[in-house]
Amino acid sequence: MSQSKQELRAQRRAHREALEQAHTAADTRRRRLFRLGAAVASAVVIVAIAAVVSTSSNGAPKSVTASTVVQGVPETNGVLGDPNAPVTITEYVDLQCPVCAQASTNTLPTLIEDYVKTGKVKLEARTLHFLGPDSTTAAKVAAGAQQQNKLWSFLETFYANQGSENSGYVTDDFLKSVATTAGVNADQALEYAKTDPATAALDKANADAQAVGADSTPTFTIKRGDGQETTLAVGATDLTTALDKALAG
Amino acid sequence: MTRTATIAVALAGLAIATYLTIVHYAGGEPVCAIAHGCATVQKSTYATFAGVPVAVLGLLGYVAILASLLKDSEAARTVTAFLAIGGLGFSAWLTYVEVFELEAICIWCVGSAICMVLLAVLATTRLLRAPAR
Repeated sequence: MSQSKQELRAQRRAHREALEQAHTAADTRRRRLFRLGAAVASAVVIVAIAAVVSTSSNGAPKSVTASTVVQGVPETNGVLGDPNAPVTITEYVDLQCPVCAQASTNTLPTLIEDYVKTGKVKLEARTLHFLGPDSTTAAKVAAGAQQQNKLWSFLETFYANQGSENSGYVTDDFLKSVATTAGVNADQALEYAKTDPATAALDKANADAQAVGADSTPTFTIKRGDGQETTLAVGATDLTTALDKALAG
Repeated sequence: MTRTATIAVALAGLAIATYLTIVHYAGGEPVCAIAHGCATVQKSTYATFAGVPVAVLGLLGYVAILASLLKDSEAARTVTAFLAIGGLGFSAWLTYVEVFELEAICIWCVGSAICMVLLAVLATTRLLRAPAR
């Protein structure tokens, strides 16, 4: 009889303990799920902040800045400098390429100052458009600027105001501001961009890039007179050494 | 067991982030390649976040996750889960940018994103499966 009482007590204790354990387990689980929920919520906040920071810091600049890189250098239908210069350097670019924008400040000033202005070299450009739709829109307007002998001015002004790739910042308003700042008749250039010759200019640039094997931008090629066009350098590097070697050879 | 697996994945992620950080600062391949890839992604304006290279952010994230794995307490497990899920959110955003904004895929960045997915799953499992107190 007393044995069964003891047993009963033990049973009740076991039952109580089991209940408490289940309770603690449920509590812990709830607490953990709540924390995980908080973690997911903070992840959502992180994504939201990332989106806001990126769009505010990477979007199109509010005011358009001018570029002085090609100031005072004459251009004849896309050829910058003396059209009779013995050597042609061609730059293959994509207007959205950040490294091309780097080249605009790192590579071009010396090249223009020491070689183009001195009549040793003339510069040409081929505007590719592989980075996306904004590249294509911009490249067509660049073709329009070339019609006004302002291609280089347009390119360099564009780089000075380059936004983030394919964010849709290359709007008509943006292009008009860049063109006007570059000294281009914006309306005419944008009108030209809608024409077949503008599309043809893009196709020609692609074909030229393929012919010389330029598969990244910026690529600089060199040509003496009517000779063979060969790659001189790739990237936003200083061209002086390579160019001096090529000019001496 | 889960902890060991989490450490292994975090180390893999750390290796990737270290490589991407080195590439970022060494400025390897300073071009925009027609064949889309890491150069495009790493040279894009999205490669830095509020002035800090995202590769460095990844590096710091993996170091923090590894640090949280040093202890096997409830608090440490919670911190790991927080970091991994937060990291997953950031990785998801970066992958979105790669695919839809840059239209370029960097295989190393995808590798890091996969590590973060695994870490988030492992850290969640570890937290939920730990013995109740």
